[in-house]
Amino acid sequence: MTAITVLTPTGTLGYGFGDEALARGMSLGPAVIAVDAGSTDPGPHYLGSGKPLVSDVSIKRELTALIRAGREAGIPVIVGSAGGAGSGVQVERTARLVREIAEEQGLGFRLATIRSDIPIERAKQAVAAGEIIDFEAGSALTSELLDETVMLVAQMGHEPICAALDGGAEVIIAGRACDDSVIASFPIWRGADPALAIHMGKILECGAFSAEPFAMDVMLGTLHADNFVLEPGSTARRASVKSVAAHSLYERENPFKQSGPGHEIDLSACSFEQIGERQVRVRGAKLTETAEYYVKLEGAKLAGYRSIAIAGIRCPTTVKALDAILADVRQKALVYFAPAPVTITFHVYGRDGVMKELERETTPQREVGLVIEVTAADQELAHAACHQISGAMLHYHYPGVINTSGNLAFPYSPSDIDLGPVYEFSAYHLMKVASPNELFPVSFEDL
Amino acid sequence: MNPRPLKDLADIVRSKNAGPYRITFDILFKDKARYEAVRDTGAINPASVAAAYGIDVAQISSFFEIDMANAIKITIKRPRAQGSAGDGDMYGCQHHVPLMRIDIPAS
Repeated sequence: MTAITVLTPTGTLGYGFGDEALARGMSLGPAVIAVDAGSTDPGPHYLGSGKPLVSDVSIKRELTALIRAGREAGIPVIVGSAGGAGSGVQVERTARLVREIAEEQGLGFRLATIRSDIPIERAKQAVAAGEIIDFEAGSALTSELLDETVMLVAQMGHEPICAALDGGAEVIIAGRACDDSVIASFPIWRGADPALAIHMGKILECGAFSAEPFAMDVMLGTLHADNFVLEPGSTARRASVKSVAAHSLYERENPFKQSGPGHEIDLSACSFEQIGERQVRVRGAKLTETAEYYVKLEGAKLAGYRSIAIAGIRCPTTVKALDAILADVRQKALVYFAPAPVTITFHVYGRDGVMKELERETTPQREVGLVIEVTAADQELAHAACHQISGAMLHYHYPGVINTSGNLAFPYSPSDIDLGPVYEFSAYHLMKVASPNELFPVSFEDL
Repeated sequence: MNPRPLKDLADIVRSKNAGPYRITFDILFKDKARYEAVRDTGAINPASVAAAYGIDVAQISSFFEIDMANAIKITIKRPRAQGSAGDGDMYGCQHHVPLMRIDIPAS
C-alpha cells in the first residue's frame, strides 16, 4: 500500500489556521484535505435553531483557502458536520458559500452534499420496532419526545462520504458525521486499514490540538500499512508521544474502547513512538464490526424562550443575605406568574456559578456576579418574569440592610436581555439502520 | 510525608464534556515515575473523586488508570445535561478544581 497523507487544517472549520502551516502542509503532498466543522460541544442551540456555529465570513475565508489549495493540488476537500450540527439548513448554507467561492475564484469542480437529517417518522418507526437504544441520555427515546423534537440528525460513518468520492466529488459538504469518519473516509476509500484510519481520524480531527504547543492549526497524518505517523504543519510545533497520547483521551470517556457507526475500535494495544523531534508513529488499533449497524441520533427540542439580567453585588450585607433574598424573590415570582410555569435559574458567580451543587468551597465573597435567567413558554413572559425578579431584587428590603437605595449594580440598560428560543437535547440515542448509507443521501452538482 | 494536592504532582488536570451527559477528567503526568507514584497511593479513586464533588459514587461513570499514557481518567454523569436549565459550563471545561485539590500522600 502506498502511503496516504491526510491534511487537517484545523480543529473546527472557521476557527483558523496558519497560512504558512497550510503551505508547508500542502508541500508534503497530502492526498486529501479533511476537516470537521461541528460537534454537540457548543450545546443544543445550533442543532435546534439551524443557525451556524461559525460566521459565514470565517467559513468562507477558510474554505476559499482550502478549496484553492485542493484544486491546485488536484485533491478533494471534505467537510463534515457542516454548519456546526450538520442539519440540512446548515449543509445548504455551507454549500451556498462553496458555490460563491467557485464563482468568485473562477474554479470548476464537482460538489457533493450529504444530508443527515432524519425524518421524525423514520425514528418513530424505529421506536415502535424496538430498534433504538439509549446511549447516555439516561432514558428511553419515546414517540412523544420525537414529536417535540424540532431537528433530528444522525452521525454518518465513512460510507456515505466514500459514496460521494465514488461519484467523483472534489468538494464534499457533509451533514453530521462522526468526527473520525470525516478524516478516515478518504484513506478507507483508497484501501487503508479502517482501524488505523479511524484511530488516526480520532487524533487528527482536532487539528494541531494533538501537537505542542497546541493550537487550532494544520496537522497531517500519513497512513502506512501497519501504522500512521502524525506531524504538525507548522515547524513551530511538534508532535510528541505525550501530546498525542494526551489527545487520545480528550473529550471521550473510554480510552481503550471507542464505538462508532457500525464498529468498535480497541485501542488497548496501541503504542506511540517518537520519530525525530516532530513526528509520532502510532500502531495497534483493532476494529471489530458490530453485528448490527447503529448510528447515533442527536435531536433538539424547543424548551422555551429565555431572558436574562446581569448584575453585580458589592455590598457585604447583601452578599451575606443573598441566599434568603434569592429564595424569596424566586418564590414570589413563581406565585406572581402562576399558573404559567417559569423556570428560574440564578447563576451566582464568585460563589458557585460554574459548578452549582458540585461546588464544595465556601470562600467568602468580596463581590458577586449574578445572572438571573428565566425560561418561559414565550419571550414576553420570560422578559416579564426576568424584570419582575431583577426589579424585586433591586429594591429588596432584608434584615440588616445598610444601603437602602438598591442591591444590584446593572452594567446595562435595559437590565433585562431577551436571548430568544432555548433548545435542549431531546435525543442522544442509537438507532439501527438497514445499511450505512440508508439515511445519508448524496447529491452532486458540477460547478 | 506531607500530603500534597494533586495539582502539585500532575502536569495536566482538566475537565471536558464527553457528550452532553458526561464530564470527563484527565490527569496527566510528566513521566512514568510521577504517574506511578500517584497511582500507587490509591488516593485518586472513584470514592475520593465522588467525595471531592459531593456526589454519590454511583454518579462516577468510569475510572481508568492508563499506563501507556501515564494518565488517570475519571468520568462523571453530569448533574444536568449540557445546556439544560441551570447548567453553568457548556463545555464542561471548568470542573477540574475539586479534583486538583485532592491530597496525595506522595512526595
